[in-house]
Amino acid sequence: MPQTVFAPWDDPAEKPLIQFKGVTKRFGDFTAIDNIDLDIYAREFFALLGPSGCGKTTLMRMLAGFETPTEGKILLSGQDIGPVPPNQRAVNMMFQSYALFPHLTIWDNIAFGLRREGRDKAAIEARVEEMLKLTRLAKFAKRKPHQISGGQRQRVALARSLAKAPKLLLLDEPLGALDRKLREETQFELMDIQEKTGTTFVIVTHDQEEAMTVASRVAVMDEGKLMQVSTPDAIYEAPSSVYVADFIGDVNIIEGKAHQTGTKLQIDWAEGQPALSATTTKNFDLGQTCYMAIRPEKIAISADRPSGANVLQGEILDIAYLGNISTYHVKLPTGHVIKAQQANTRRISRREFTWEDKVWISWTDTAAVVLAQ
Amino acid sequence: MTPRLRAWALSAPALFLVALFLGLPVLSTLATTFGDPKGPFAQYAAFFDSRFRMTVLWRTMEVAVITTTISVIVGFMTAWVVAKSPARIKSLLIIAAVFPLLTGVVVRSFAWLIILGKNGILNDTLLWLGLISEPLSMLYTQFSVTIAMVYLFVPLMILTLVGVLEAIPQDLTEAAASLGATPAAAFRQVVLPMAVPGLIVGSVLVFTGSFTSYATPQLLGGERQMMMGTFLYQRAMVTFDWVGASTIAAVMVVVTLTTVLVMSKLARRLNPVAG
Ligand SMILES: Nc1ncnc2c1ncn2[C@@H]1O[C@H](COP(=O)(O)OP(=O)(O)O)[C@@H](O)[C@H]1O
Ligand SMILES: [Mg+2]
Repeated sequence: MPQTVFAPWDDPAEKPLIQFKGVTKRFGDFTAIDNIDLDIYAREFFALLGPSGCGKTTLMRMLAGFETPTEGKILLSGQDIGPVPPNQRAVNMMFQSYALFPHLTIWDNIAFGLRREGRDKAAIEARVEEMLKLTRLAKFAKRKPHQISGGQRQRVALARSLAKAPKLLLLDEPLGALDRKLREETQFELMDIQEKTGTTFVIVTHDQEEAMTVASRVAVMDEGKLMQVSTPDAIYEAPSSVYVADFIGDVNIIEGKAHQTGTKLQIDWAEGQPALSATTTKNFDLGQTCYMAIRPEKIAISADRPSGANVLQGEILDIAYLGNISTYHVKLPTGHVIKAQQANTRRISRREFTWEDKVWISWTDTAAVVLAQ
Repeated sequence: MTPRLRAWALSAPALFLVALFLGLPVLSTLATTFGDPKGPFAQYAAFFDSRFRMTVLWRTMEVAVITTTISVIVGFMTAWVVAKSPARIKSLLIIAAVFPLLTGVVVRSFAWLIILGKNGILNDTLLWLGLISEPLSMLYTQFSVTIAMVYLFVPLMILTLVGVLEAIPQDLTEAAASLGATPAAAFRQVVLPMAVPGLIVGSVLVFTGSFTSYATPQLLGGERQMMMGTFLYQRAMVTFDWVGASTIAAVMVVVTLTTVLVMSKLARRLNPVAG
């Protein structure tokens, strides 16, 4: 049975739910959002990822209607939403602070949006009960926001946002205040709810793991610009720039000069060292500066010299023990420090390497991505 | 020293001062009111029997209630504008609002004498506009007392409410908008309920302040618009009826204390983040 992959962005016939067209937002002479073009499709779980201050919240607030673009247009289902005030947009924003109404009970918080629509009492009641059930909050319906825990508050905010079944739900760092374990649980809960309700989610986060876990696609931002928009695996395995590679996960970057023959690439990276080899589909000029990006988990570490495309010797400088894996910092004679990861399949007492051991590191010619910038 | 003991020790000097200079005088004042040879409550019976004294009490209540009501409305609207303005304009507006507080009560009441007098600014203007043919007598009326009192207490209300309104996170009104609330609905459903405790605090301040005021009714109400404060002064300093004055003081204390207690109970009940 063929499984259909959810990838509307690859289908030219698919119409995006949201379109940013050349959107720029300036505060005074500070450019917070710099000429962004972006399509987001219905039923997507879209993550905006980037360092603090890169413009994620601003982008969302423009979608919600709390900020207007200085230049460009935002379309929702093909309609320019520029002139539509926030309360008339089929968009709901869940705030980083949750913004629960402190004077209302959980029940009334969830009913707030429904009441504004003027639905009849029975319909409101049914919908609120449904939301309480979905977010497992039925027991707390009569409490006020200050009488429940942070995780529960977060679920109330979610229930309140979902109650009106918005076309688009914006979540601004919704899990920021939760501790790690609760955050992971909630991530799966969010994905589950997103699947059940079919709502399009746009989530802001500065936690790359979170983005990778929940998102159908991730946009990596920097200083108001989109650096890359792609699926989580593509962002991780085929980053388009050193910035993205470095931002998502751990990476070793080796700078060198390119010598390309077809898809094979030789990289001169240090005096008196054999060139490193990699494969690429991009074209590099002879002698062009390039950057080899290799994830630590793709570098093998061994006591004896292995055979392979890229083999280097070094000395263990540091070991970061993370429980399930260890990251070895290996110092090469050239001064480069390369991180190599190994799963800790044995107990500590029987581990192979320790500080100052001479070791070999190696990776295949397809393990690295070569980037021009 | 236990933390409890230390807290007591730290507050001892203040407690001592309050006991000596507030507690004792109030108690001894109250004590004199019960010393009448005709029985402990004779003074109070006389007070509540006297048409004149009751008129003064009701007038004072009325002026205080009207002043409070107008101050709440005017103060809330002004505070809203101040709280919503950009930071730089905000501090200018707050200074403007507080400025009258920096001049004395007497000076501010005198200003109203100049405005409301027979040949005052207001009468001159109305005559010049042809709206009236002869000067109105506005001084020494309940109107003149109330208007001066409102002027006196609005800044207090503004200051109280600006703090309260600023403490309502913008997120909340935005969340309301995002959930489909029009600006008016967001105001009614979110801002107003959250401002209730502040409104109560402000009202208590203005009510007790105007109920017990002396200088303004003295200058703008005179003998004709006697209020509890001026009445008390007259009894004590003009007729030297100390027991009568103490009785008036006792009635004032009871009214203000009752207001404070009832309102703080109400505030607790209406507190948005309570039970
Ligand atoms: N109302 C505003 N006035 C001025 N500058 C703002 C305003 N809102 C955001 N900014 C600036 O725009 C940049 C992006 O902010 P924001 O979108 O909140 O970033 P992020 O959510 O990615 O951390 C920041 O440098 C911030 O200081
Ligand atoms: Mg933000």
